[in-house]
Amino acid sequence: MNASVPHIETMRSQLGRARGLGAGHSGVGHWWAERTSAATLLPLSTWFVVQMFRLGGADHAEVVKWGGKPLNATMMAALIITTFYHAQVGLQVIVDDYVHGKAHVPARLLVKIGTSLLGLLGVFAVIKLVASSSSAK
Amino acid sequence: MVELRLPRNSTIGIGKTFPAPAGAKNVKTFRIYRWSPDDGKNPVIDIYELDLDTFGPMVLDAIIHIKNEVDPTLTFRRSCREGICGSCAMNIDGENTLACLKPIKSIEGDVRIYPLPHMPIVKDLVSNLDGAYAQLRAIQPWMKSDSAPPPDGERRQSIEERAKLDGMWECILCFCCTTSCPSYWWNGDRYLGPAVLLAAYRWIADSRDEHTGERLDELEDTFKLYACRTIMNCTQTCPKGLNPAKAIGRIKELQIERKL
Repeated sequence: MNASVPHIETMRSQLGRARGLGAGHSGVGHWWAERTSAATLLPLSTWFVVQMFRLGGADHAEVVKWGGKPLNATMMAALIITTFYHAQVGLQVIVDDYVHGKAHVPARLLVKIGTSLLGLLGVFAVIKLVASSSSAK
Repeated sequence: MVELRLPRNSTIGIGKTFPAPAGAKNVKTFRIYRWSPDDGKNPVIDIYELDLDTFGPMVLDAIIHIKNEVDPTLTFRRSCREGICGSCAMNIDGENTLACLKPIKSIEGDVRIYPLPHMPIVKDLVSNLDGAYAQLRAIQPWMKSDSAPPPDGERRQSIEERAKLDGMWECILCFCCTTSCPSYWWNGDRYLGPAVLLAAYRWIADSRDEHTGERLDELEDTFKLYACRTIMNCTQTCPKGLNPAKAIGRIKELQIERKL
């Protein structure tokens, strides 16, 4: 073998590379989810900020009582679920942009699992709030 | 992972300086990227001090002057010198544009000229666009129609239908937009880029084309279409004043429209 001849790793035609594995036929759902969750978060976040101002200076018992109300608990759960869903969808975009090669799939999984667990934790905190509020009565 | 710095063999040094001719009154400095595949050296910036009174008003006039009178080794593409062939696309003063349409007067300070960003370099200001051309071919930028054309003439189109192609047929495929797109820099192997997506939408919007659905099918992909992050560099940089970002937005709208 002639060592001075440079090794060429990719000889596939440019058209073959451009076509690649073909279209994945997904992406619309993700794009739509990103936008609908963002739109949903607008009223939910506004509600949350207003509530936090109203609860300013409240003691623990008052907050527990507030969290035990069905409407507040529902809104909190909706906010937490939408927030972490939006985070999942959005972080996926960042992973797609910046993480290439072998790390791509693990990074995608990490985002999915991480945001799901954090969201679940938030929802259980709301459930706990509701439970402690009803037992306090 | 993301590359935060240039590879070692891409860091740019300082090259030769070509001083202005004696007696020159209207001198402007041109700093031009130079790289040759033959000598195994890193790229350098050569500095050319030119007398603006000795050639025409555009950046292309300046680099043609350099090639003819100062340094015949400078390599670049050019053809029509009037903004219709797209050959002289390069990065001038930090923005991708056509050298033939860029007035030297519009640039403050030194004129910095680089090849189109983030593409393999053939030599000096000539970047290799083979990948982008193949992506264009992959979207089949020609009319696909199953109905036979009228035997006695062309396929007809209303004035309204024809108007939908305005802002797209003008694209000259200089790839200023595609090479200005960070998303294309990150994922150019899978993302089609603004120029190709504009061309794709040009056929999606054409009333005579009958393969609209198949075209949308082929674009529905996390990267091919949806790697567009609406950064808008494409629209900002287009030397023809076109709006590829809008065309991409329209494709996304149609993808939603057919699902909801």
